[in-house]
Amino acid sequence: MPPRFDQARPFVTLGVVVLVWILLPVVIKGFLRVSFFELQAPVSVPASYLRDLQDYWSLRVHSKTELIAAGRDLARVNASYELASQQHAEFLAEIRRLEDLLRLPAHSQYRFEHARVVRRDFSGWWQQLVIRKGRNYGIPVGAPVVFSGGVVGRVIAVHAYTAVVELISSPTLRLAAVVEGDTRPMSFQGGLNTTFGPAHGVIEFVPLDIFASANSTRRLVTSGLGGVFPPGLTLGQVVKIEPSTDGLFKTGEVLLDQRLGELIEVTVLVPLNEG
Amino acid sequence: MRRRWLIIFLTLLLLWVLVAQVNHYLALWRVYLFVGGLYVTYAALQLPLRSGLAASLLGGLLCDANSPVPPGTHVILFAAAHAVLFHVRDRVPRDQTITRVIIALLANLALFLVFSFLLIGLSPTPAAIWPRLIFDLVCSQVFLALIAPWFFALQGRAQELAGLRERSIY
Repeated sequence: MPPRFDQARPFVTLGVVVLVWILLPVVIKGFLRVSFFELQAPVSVPASYLRDLQDYWSLRVHSKTELIAAGRDLARVNASYELASQQHAEFLAEIRRLEDLLRLPAHSQYRFEHARVVRRDFSGWWQQLVIRKGRNYGIPVGAPVVFSGGVVGRVIAVHAYTAVVELISSPTLRLAAVVEGDTRPMSFQGGLNTTFGPAHGVIEFVPLDIFASANSTRRLVTSGLGGVFPPGLTLGQVVKIEPSTDGLFKTGEVLLDQRLGELIEVTVLVPLNEG
Repeated sequence: MRRRWLIIFLTLLLLWVLVAQVNHYLALWRVYLFVGGLYVTYAALQLPLRSGLAASLLGGLLCDANSPVPPGTHVILFAAAHAVLFHVRDRVPRDQTITRVIIALLANLALFLVFSFLLIGLSPTPAAIWPRLIFDLVCSQVFLALIAPWFFALQGRAQELAGLRERSIY
């Protein structure tokens, strides 16, 4: 082999690899991605079960007195929720009556699928979670994911026993939002993730008569436009609004829930019409 | 000889699992470790071109499968890093651990920066994200320097256990 070619051999090989990758059909690329994801799933999922076991044994060390106190507090909270649940049923019936009367399209119905978090992946480039339910529980791609503090994100990939959730703090996630008490939609995008601090998002196309500051924040909620997220779910608190460069709208900063980085369980809203 | 790439790939899978678990816990503080340099260094410095490149490509596919990036981003970057390291490997004392660690650090730095420049356009405020990325880079480099000697020893030992010599004939 000539010495000159010998020197260039790694780069020639690199060129061949790049060429082969470019020419590779998308189907094969997709198959490779899914295969390699499923390859590591049997390792990640047991690790999450081990964490659950660890939590279980750490909870076992609590005294009976603590458990009795916790049970009492929980019973009070349950009683409050019981009342709220009865009211909720009444409201739903009222909405259905009005929809029938006015011949409005029915609101989307969801099935709540609770899932444990297998893995958090929060880089500066993206933020995502892997949850322990996938096709085996009928999780569809695009389903909204929520927790007690509001929106977590949406499902971007579904595998056999796991699903990947893109967080609202991820710069690749955009959705329509409204400030609570207002109906005019604006654009929300995640992306400001500082170390040791809560994540922030950005809002654009904010109407000029909406004001907010760190001292008087406004709650940002989902608008329901687009059909993915139901309306009224909390996204975060608007802590800053300033005029945009074009002068037609404003832009702002949204403080997201600190608990997004600590989630151990989330709820997937599975649309009922998707089975 | 054919198993060499498979042995190295299995060690890369172990590395991925360990780093993913560490990142899971570090998510509480919004810190992220990137050790892309470790996926290519040993394979590029110690293995023949074909089997070493196969191991690096498989490592890239593993990372691609778990990242929301265009397909092939890790594959192409790892292949490029592998080619560069393979090109220079005869000019460095590649049997010394310290040399391998320094090369892994440099490869990791280059991969992190290229990755950042490729993906930073997605952020609504690219300038504001750099402090976070720089902090992640510093943490990643420290973490890599700490685990690299163990990982290279593991890769060498894994090959010995599989009945393969550590050093290869070019």
